[in-house]
Amino acid sequence: MKGKDALLALLIPAVALTIWYMVSKTGLIPIYLLPHPGTIFHSGALYIFGKPGQGAFAGRFTNDFAASLERVLLGFSLAATLGIPLGIMSGRITLVNRVLSTTINGLRAVPGICWLPLAMIWFGIGIKTTVFLVAIAAFFPIYLNTLTGARLVGPIYFQAGSMLGISRFRSIFVILIPMAMPNIIAGLRLGMGISWAYLVLGELTGVPDGLGAVIMDARMEGQIDIIIVGILLIALIGRMCDQILFFAMRLCFKSAKRMTR
Amino acid sequence: MTQKILKTPVESRESYLEIADLSHSFAGTGRDRRILNHVSFTIARGELVCLIGRSGCGKSTILNIVAGFLKPTSGSCLLEGKRVTGPGPDRCVVFQEDALFPWLTVRENIAFGLKSRFMSQKEHFEEVDRFLELVDLHGHGDYLPREISGGMKQRVALARVLIRYPRILLMDEPFGALDAQIRENIQELLVRLWQKSSQTILFVTHDVQEAIALADRVLLLEHNSRQIREELVIQLERPRDRGSEAFQAYCIQLREGL
Repeated sequence: MKGKDALLALLIPAVALTIWYMVSKTGLIPIYLLPHPGTIFHSGALYIFGKPGQGAFAGRFTNDFAASLERVLLGFSLAATLGIPLGIMSGRITLVNRVLSTTINGLRAVPGICWLPLAMIWFGIGIKTTVFLVAIAAFFPIYLNTLTGARLVGPIYFQAGSMLGISRFRSIFVILIPMAMPNIIAGLRLGMGISWAYLVLGELTGVPDGLGAVIMDARMEGQIDIIIVGILLIALIGRMCDQILFFAMRLCFKSAKRMTR
Repeated sequence: MTQKILKTPVESRESYLEIADLSHSFAGTGRDRRILNHVSFTIARGELVCLIGRSGCGKSTILNIVAGFLKPTSGSCLLEGKRVTGPGPDRCVVFQEDALFPWLTVRENIAFGLKSRFMSQKEHFEEVDRFLELVDLHGHGDYLPREISGGMKQRVALARVLIRYPRILLMDEPFGALDAQIRENIQELLVRLWQKSSQTILFVTHDVQEAIALADRVLLLEHNSRQIREELVIQLERPRDRGSEAFQAYCIQLREGL
């Protein structure tokens, strides 16, 4: 992002912070509902940089972040590994689509939270449940967008490939995937976004670490400042993951670099 | 530049591409729609033949059958005595619409079908360069298709198939979407390339002027009978002057046939 773009991107957070600050000054809202921004800043700093012993949540961040990131990446990778190949096959092979579409669209209609009790029975409380929830939630946008992208590739490109001596199998990699790349990336980014949402859901169930766990612990102890710190951190990290994903795709694939912006 | 004068007359040509008794129907609502009705013709090696007909008369269907994209309902298509069964690099197509790969640069598009197995990187690069130059796109190699004009795109499309040295080049109204001036330029480019390489070309068009400007021989695919009833041998020296009386006479003759 260029300087001007960065300023524009920070406009809304800056305005929100200013309003929040002024509202806090007037004392119209009690601090147990909305603490002063300074308090948030202080708690956040302690949570991230503090040493154990300085407070209930001091210094937990590194550990929580690592735990959450691992769960998100595992679940997301699982979703992408299944979603992209299945999406490509459903988009190109009518038979596969007929077999899969009813089931997948049926499952998609089930709200993610419904899986939680089942996952807890199957996998217990811990990493497996969270990874399962993240994977199931991220799968659908990845699968559906890949399917659309694969279906939209015009037959003329495959004709061009075949007359230039590209085998059907090779054309998947040198024609189909590059052509579908903008949709695949859109699916991956949506999937990554929803991964963080379902991470928190999975971590609300009593795991000892993770950003979702911190929010839940803070609620139990009535520390609204830490809840807000957790929310802000997830927003920030989610945004960064999205940017890193997009950047990495553009770095790895010519088609991503030249067909998305 | 060498001047190609008149071609040998029809009877003594040996057939290179042989279309025999070709019929094709598409399954339609209620009854099948017959697109081709026992079409037969031949093309000699090195000949530039235009196939002309009104839109919807089945000329593109013939081309798709020769390319191997479509299997005819009956009849056969032989290239050098070998039956066409599917698409292959010995029969390359320049399509009417833009079919370049949008994520590849001009240079990468041209190199797409080039087998680099038997070539060093330097030879590979030089070969692509040579074909860039051949279609007057020197210096445009690093552009993406969306950054160049329609006429340039079709020249890239031409280069990417010529680099495969196809036995026959199939062109499906490739210049139909271009402005008149650009169309004439690219037609002249095609004729120059053809004269240099003696590439066999089957060129589908609905444009009378284009057919006469390019072809050794024009085949008329008739709309009602869905057969080739007439052919016109164009006995004009190249480069052809579109303003000349002889050229106009051919135009009138061809228009009457259509």
